[in-house]
Amino acid sequence: MAFLEAKKVSKFFGALAAVSEIDFTLEKGEILGMIGPNGSGKTTLFNVIVGVYPPDRGKILFSGKDISGKKPHKICHLGITKTSQIVQPFTSMTVLENVMIGGMFGKGLTLSKAKEKAKEFIDFVGLSKYLDEPSGKITVASRRRLELARALATEPEIILLDENMAGLTPWEIDEVLELLRKVNKDMGITLFVVEHVMRAVMGISERIIVLNYGEKIAEGSPEEVAKDPAVIEAYLGEKYA
Amino acid sequence: MEKKIFSKRNITLFFLILAIILILPLFVHGYLLRMLALIFMWIGLTACWNIIAGYTGYIDFGSVGYFGIGSYVTAILMTKAKMAFLPSLVFSGIISASFAIPIGIPTLRLRGAYFGIATLAFAEAMKQVVLELDRVAHINFFGGSHGITLPIGPGNEFFYYVMFTLMFMVMAVTLWIERSRFGYSLKAIHEAENTAELVGVNTLFAKTTAYTISAFFLGMFGATEAYWVTYITPNDVFNIHVTIQMVIMTLLGGMGTVMGPIVGGSFLTIISEILWARFIYTYMILLGIIILIVIIFMPKGIVGTIRGLVIKKKVT
Amino acid sequence: MLLLLQTVVNGVLLGGIYAAYSAGFSLIFGVMGIINIAHGELVMLGAFSTYWMFTLFKIDPFISLPISLVLLFGIGYLLQKFIFNRVVEAPSIMSYIATFGVHLIIANLALLLWTADFRSITTSYSGIHLNLGGVIIPYARLVTFFLAFVVIIGLYIFLYKTDTGRAIQATAQDKEVARLMGVNVYRIYAITFAIGAAITGIAGSLISTYFIIYPQMGLPYTIIAFCVVVLGGMGYIPGALWGGLILGVVESLTATYLSAGLSVAITFILLFFMLIFRPAGIVGKGIIE
Ligand SMILES: Nc1ncnc2c1ncn2[C@@H]1O[C@H](COP(=O)(O)OP(=O)(O)O)[C@@H](O)[C@H]1O
Ligand SMILES: [Mg+2]
Repeated sequence: MAFLEAKKVSKFFGALAAVSEIDFTLEKGEILGMIGPNGSGKTTLFNVIVGVYPPDRGKILFSGKDISGKKPHKICHLGITKTSQIVQPFTSMTVLENVMIGGMFGKGLTLSKAKEKAKEFIDFVGLSKYLDEPSGKITVASRRRLELARALATEPEIILLDENMAGLTPWEIDEVLELLRKVNKDMGITLFVVEHVMRAVMGISERIIVLNYGEKIAEGSPEEVAKDPAVIEAYLGEKYA
Repeated sequence: MEKKIFSKRNITLFFLILAIILILPLFVHGYLLRMLALIFMWIGLTACWNIIAGYTGYIDFGSVGYFGIGSYVTAILMTKAKMAFLPSLVFSGIISASFAIPIGIPTLRLRGAYFGIATLAFAEAMKQVVLELDRVAHINFFGGSHGITLPIGPGNEFFYYVMFTLMFMVMAVTLWIERSRFGYSLKAIHEAENTAELVGVNTLFAKTTAYTISAFFLGMFGATEAYWVTYITPNDVFNIHVTIQMVIMTLLGGMGTVMGPIVGGSFLTIISEILWARFIYTYMILLGIIILIVIIFMPKGIVGTIRGLVIKKKVT
Repeated sequence: MLLLLQTVVNGVLLGGIYAAYSAGFSLIFGVMGIINIAHGELVMLGAFSTYWMFTLFKIDPFISLPISLVLLFGIGYLLQKFIFNRVVEAPSIMSYIATFGVHLIIANLALLLWTADFRSITTSYSGIHLNLGGVIIPYARLVTFFLAFVVIIGLYIFLYKTDTGRAIQATAQDKEVARLMGVNVYRIYAITFAIGAAITGIAGSLISTYFIIYPQMGLPYTIIAFCVVVLGGMGYIPGALWGGLILGVVESLTATYLSAGLSVAITFILLFFMLIFRPAGIVGKGIIE
């Protein structure tokens, strides 16, 4: 039994099938990558997994239990959270408070316990010097780390990362990749990573699925996927055509 | 930023003010006492509005609905069931709150303007139902547009203390929210509701709780006001201007702060008391102008603006 | 049967009036996200301008329509330029409250200037009507009804066929992109508000020929406009027509068969459930967020 499994999941916006009959499995402890051209449905699939939208068809199973249609906070309590492509911090709260929210509501800690734990996660992502800065005032790169710290604070089993490295410099990307490896290896958290930066996703994932027009067109190791003609046409074709 | 609200100095100050307020009716009577009671009421109402709108950012245009429900519950219990005021007061709060749950759950799913309009529709529908139900159903319950006359109440001292107690309770709840886990969930909803949900905040539950707390107190204020003025009609106790007054006072004072309602509520009640009776239209025009000035030049309200100035001073 | 027919006809005509004065509300919301609480005051100003031109200078209401139009266009432009443009980028609560401030100022200035008296216009054609096999159709209302169509179609053509119209649409869709394309967003806002005010003003002018007018008439009109626009779909202009018609017919049926007083309650209950179950309006084309 897979840790997280999607069975023929579809999600429509009006007539548009943003996600269409998608199957995937995610094993405990692995890092799964997902790529696909813009608008291919990656964000939507993530949103369906965490319950922002219920799937119109199909099921999502987590440790064998059907979680489709549950609200995001429920799914977070079960152990799955997500960082958003468009970062949405609690702008007027400090970095510390932002992360505390994760501990208090994702993990159910008391205020003081959440504060203590939040500091550890902030330290882990390297934002300690901004502890009391309002999160609206820090740089985009820091905000992306903040997203990660807040997700970690919910002490999840799975984190979905939606283009968490968008807009970062190559050097910053390397740092984040290093962090993510630690999250995976040391904390034992399963990761599902969407990334537009090919190098990043290829480098970190053991397995990759490829979406195009809402459908899964390929799956395999980074090398296999990179050689797949359908992928080259759909994904790389867009860029190099 | 750790704010030391419970510092020794603040606590002393608090008990001093409390003592003054409690013994004041020994020295002050009549009009002035009435006026103070009125200020307490408006501060309290504004604080109720602030709990839902200031903290969660859900702009409620139907708050007067709960005020009106509270008024009618007490009026009906006191006249039809001959119940005493204090138990009626508690019932008013409970019944208002129990309306808030079924109304809040569907409406709090709506965002922005839609929530505002839906709550407005709720309050107006309540008013119309209370106005018309007797005639349509051939009963004599709400008294239609003639309203209900309550038993004559005790003097201003009594209402001074009741209004103060209610206000005190709302302020205490606000202060608790400000510093609690629950308050954090409300602020998180205000800032980025989707993110809050993703990291485990049960947003609908938190919003509905805040909305219900607000309705509970609004109902009790409505009850007290009904007994105070001894005569209520749907057009008075469901008047949209009551909501609007709460909105303006909160805004004037500063949204989502503990001090905001105190400053905004007393400021506007005093101005309105001075001008209202004599120059009503001029007062309303002035109010409009004040609103525009606040909105355009000091969007954080009086409290926020002063705080901003103080911080600037400290820096330079 | 005749009663039912007459009731429905009355409802449709009433709906036309609702649509005529609600289209501007929808436009302003659709482009700027402003819920204009002073909307009813625009109706009131249109009505009073017609009233004064009629009582002071004996100008026929239908002749003074263009004057109301120009007057309200100007007022709308100035309001947006000097007041609402300063809050349009702030959280939406700020713009609601600003419009409320404007509502207070206009309504109470009107009270100071013109007193709270109820007024009405009696023209040579007041009261004349068409009799279609027993169903009565007053001409003035019929004209308003057609005007509602003309206004909505005109607005539609304007938005889709003219450069300014397209700039307004671009701004409504994404103001940052519009800005990059060289659109002066604030000027577009001012023009949008002016157009919204102008079409609302002429609706007010027409209303003055068969409804009682008074300075405090505004708020109920604003509330009805809310309902109409929510029913039709916020920001979706042709929706105002749908919303107006549904509301008009529902109110008319309630008034005839239940109780006149209940029709307002029904309006709000309808509005409440609409918002919860179909926030994008009957035809589902409104803006939801
Ligand atoms: N809330 C929404 N309403 C309507 N269409 C949407 C919505 N969200 C996404 N879409 C559409 O669904 C498709 C997939 O989008 P998305 O999941 O964001 O793709 P990706 O993340 O792969 O770039 C796109 O065509 C997009 O326009
Ligand atoms: Mg995406």
